[in-house]
Amino acid sequence: MTVVGEAHLMSTPGSAATQLIALAAGALLVTSVLMVWRRELSAQVRLLTVQGVSLAVLAVTIGLSGPASARAELLVVAALVLALRAWLLPWVVGRRLRAGVEAGDAAREDGARLNPTASLVVVALLATVAYLVSRPISEAVAAGSGAAVSGPAAFAVPVGVCMVLIGFLLLVGRRRAMSQLIGFLVLDNGIATVAFLTAAGVPFAVELGVSSDVLLVVLILAVLSRRIHAQVGSTTLDSMTELRD
Amino acid sequence: MTALAGGLLAQGALATLAVLVAVSARGRARNLLAGVACAALSAAGAVSGALALSGATVTLRMATALPGAELVLAPDRLGGLLMLLVGSVGFLASVYAIGYVHGASASRTQWAALALFLLGMQLVPAAGDVVAFLLAWELMAAASTVLVLAEQAHRPAARQAAVWYAVMTHLSFVLLLAGFAALSATGGTTSFAGLAGTDAARPGATAAFVLLVVGFAAKAGVAPLHVWLPRAHPEAPSHASALMSAAMVSLGAYGILLVGIRLLPGGPTWWSVLLTALGAGSAVHGILHAGVATDLKRLLAYSTSENLGLVVAAIGLTMLLRTHHVPGAAGAALVAALLLLVSHAAFKSTLFLGAGAVLRATGERDLDRMGGLAHAMPWTAATFGVGSLGAAALPVTGGFVAEWTLLQALIHGVRPADRVVAVVVPLTLGLIALTAGLALVTFVKAFGIAFLARARSVTALAATEAPPSMRAAMVLGAVGVLALGVLPGPVAAAAASAIGVDGVRVAGLGGVELTGVGAVLSPAALVGLGAVVALPALALVLVVARRRPATTDVLGWGCGGVRTSPRMQYNATSYAEPVMRIFDDALQPRRDVVVTHVGESAYLAERVRFAQHHDDVVEVRLYRPLVAAADALADRARRVQNGSVNRYLAFSFTALVVVLLVVVA
Repeated sequence: MTVVGEAHLMSTPGSAATQLIALAAGALLVTSVLMVWRRELSAQVRLLTVQGVSLAVLAVTIGLSGPASARAELLVVAALVLALRAWLLPWVVGRRLRAGVEAGDAAREDGARLNPTASLVVVALLATVAYLVSRPISEAVAAGSGAAVSGPAAFAVPVGVCMVLIGFLLLVGRRRAMSQLIGFLVLDNGIATVAFLTAAGVPFAVELGVSSDVLLVVLILAVLSRRIHAQVGSTTLDSMTELRD
Repeated sequence: MTALAGGLLAQGALATLAVLVAVSARGRARNLLAGVACAALSAAGAVSGALALSGATVTLRMATALPGAELVLAPDRLGGLLMLLVGSVGFLASVYAIGYVHGASASRTQWAALALFLLGMQLVPAAGDVVAFLLAWELMAAASTVLVLAEQAHRPAARQAAVWYAVMTHLSFVLLLAGFAALSATGGTTSFAGLAGTDAARPGATAAFVLLVVGFAAKAGVAPLHVWLPRAHPEAPSHASALMSAAMVSLGAYGILLVGIRLLPGGPTWWSVLLTALGAGSAVHGILHAGVATDLKRLLAYSTSENLGLVVAAIGLTMLLRTHHVPGAAGAALVAALLLLVSHAAFKSTLFLGAGAVLRATGERDLDRMGGLAHAMPWTAATFGVGSLGAAALPVTGGFVAEWTLLQALIHGVRPADRVVAVVVPLTLGLIALTAGLALVTFVKAFGIAFLARARSVTALAATEAPPSMRAAMVLGAVGVLALGVLPGPVAAAAASAIGVDGVRVAGLGGVELTGVGAVLSPAALVGLGAVVALPALALVLVVARRRPATTDVLGWGCGGVRTSPRMQYNATSYAEPVMRIFDDALQPRRDVVVTHVGESAYLAERVRFAQHHDDVVEVRLYRPLVAAADALADRARRVQNGSVNRYLAFSFTALVVVLLVVVA
């Protein structure tokens, strides 16, 4: 890692757009880390909302700083992101969570496979890995090669990669079905972040397709978790080990 | 567009049509329409094959979804011969299937799989590059696995057979994939035209040869890779058995021809000795097990292993004689390999179709419960008889001409001065002579026990003749066997030109002359001569027989008694008893004799139960330890796979992080 490369990546720290992107990326990273730390499921849903808003801010900023021709489409995409990731998905998850608590399910993620301290250490390691592995992408984006044209957004790419890894960590470490769902949403937010940052905004058709996919997955998993609860009396996945061979 | 290109495209269109008809039509209409579509598909294959064999060439390139990878269809003359062979067998099997299928085998799945199987088999010899070859090969393998299960999927034996078949066929595919990868890396291209004549001395050529030969041998059913044959053939519907045994295994032999003769000629001597040993061993092993088998389809399956063994031995001998500069005999051996393939396809399809007719009429595959079927099923008996003559390599059949050519090549290929040739050729000659003798015993048993004498069970007594479409297919097959035997000249000449051998001429009336070894065979003339001698004699006998009063038959050595029970006849087990005794060590039979005595008497028996089993020694010694080891390994793998979602996610998470780190580093 050379100092010259660092300076190049942070080339225009002054502009308002870059500041906003940095803020949104920071919020995304912090909310992800907090999700690893918190055990309260309702708190995690609130964090998911914050993450959705941050992602929408990121989309709006990239849309406004991009070329005028694509501005309208990117603003529609940002509105879609806001509606889906900041409102609809957290609402579906939250509703299912409240229904679960009323039916006698615990509101906390108990017995996760990693304790909070250990998970935070792992997160730190994952963040390092994310920064290491996204250097080539960042450099390509900053140089404006290929399809990537959003120079100022390049420095935030590692945040997206880091979110993907953190989402995966949540999937691996947690036992409750709802926690799995939240982990999946973090992972998907990470993918969306990387997409926005590297492709200078995502075409409307692509974002619509991805969004409807995610919505379907969440709805199916929400229904599934209710069925699991009805079948085995809790929503931990430990008792579901019969499907093998 | 040339006629050949049209033929190739028509095959694709007809296969699509056949699948559509199979899926959409209902009831009896499905059998008829799908059967006709499959027959048309095979006919298109046979015509394209005949065109390619007569020298027409075409190169069809098809783009694929993958950039840079295209499928090339460019049949050469040898490919044309194989396509003609596969198409002809496919035509017989499709026509036969119209009348044969019933119950589960009349399903949509069966007909669709049959169409795809035919298409796959017809495209394998048309392939002009490795990618197209492997794709067609896999289509053939997958569709045939479905066909194995098409008739009796509810039987555990059928499911087990399908698993064995699927494992062996995919093992073969993996070996071929690796072999072609090695060959392409050596030759620097994937097209067969570019790979033709690759220098066998280059690094990688030996690995490619061994991998490819083992892979193709598994498909050809050559021992010790034959274990799927005696399992899959009895369980598959009979038309599928005929296709697999007459056409599909031939493609395995085609693969060996492709590798040994076209792609990697001029290999070291041990390559050819390996092939010869594999082939001769398989021939003896196969016919030995066929000789003592009592399940009719199992018997035919082992006989396939024997015949393909002969083909592989002939290919091996060709390579050996070419490297050791005996070109005349080498050419004759190569033509013998092709004649063996063609005649085997003819008689084996006839035999399997006949076995299917017997199975349909009696529900029996066990020879010990058949008998007397010649009265109830004269058409089946006659065609099966002709097929048996072919399989026993007796005159006026294709089998005789093929074995005669092989023996001519061997006899004229002996070179006492060359040590390797002086050892290998006479040894092979002896083994092939043994095989020929045992084949005679085997097929006398198969025909005699099933069709002659008296019925040994109630179902055999109630048998009725097969419906017209099945009869038509069997008669066509039998006519093919006889035509190959009476007029072998044109076939031999076409085969010789297909593989680039000169030294075969048509002699006299459809006879064959091997100029390389100076031998002539003219069956048509012999048949004419025989007729001139035999017909008056026959007429004389008939006249004399009519003058004499009718005689009553008494049992020879029967002391005035008669054998009242049909169970007192010879059956398949007792007929094969001498063979079983002579080859006791190789076959290792297990016999159970249970005697129930009358009261306290030690001398009077009320009933005696005799049961005899024999396992395939190769299977017991080679495959059981392998299967046990694989099971043990799978048990360990099962511990990793404990059903926890978290653990599975952790696997992919670890994989992701590792991949990311590797990519960056």
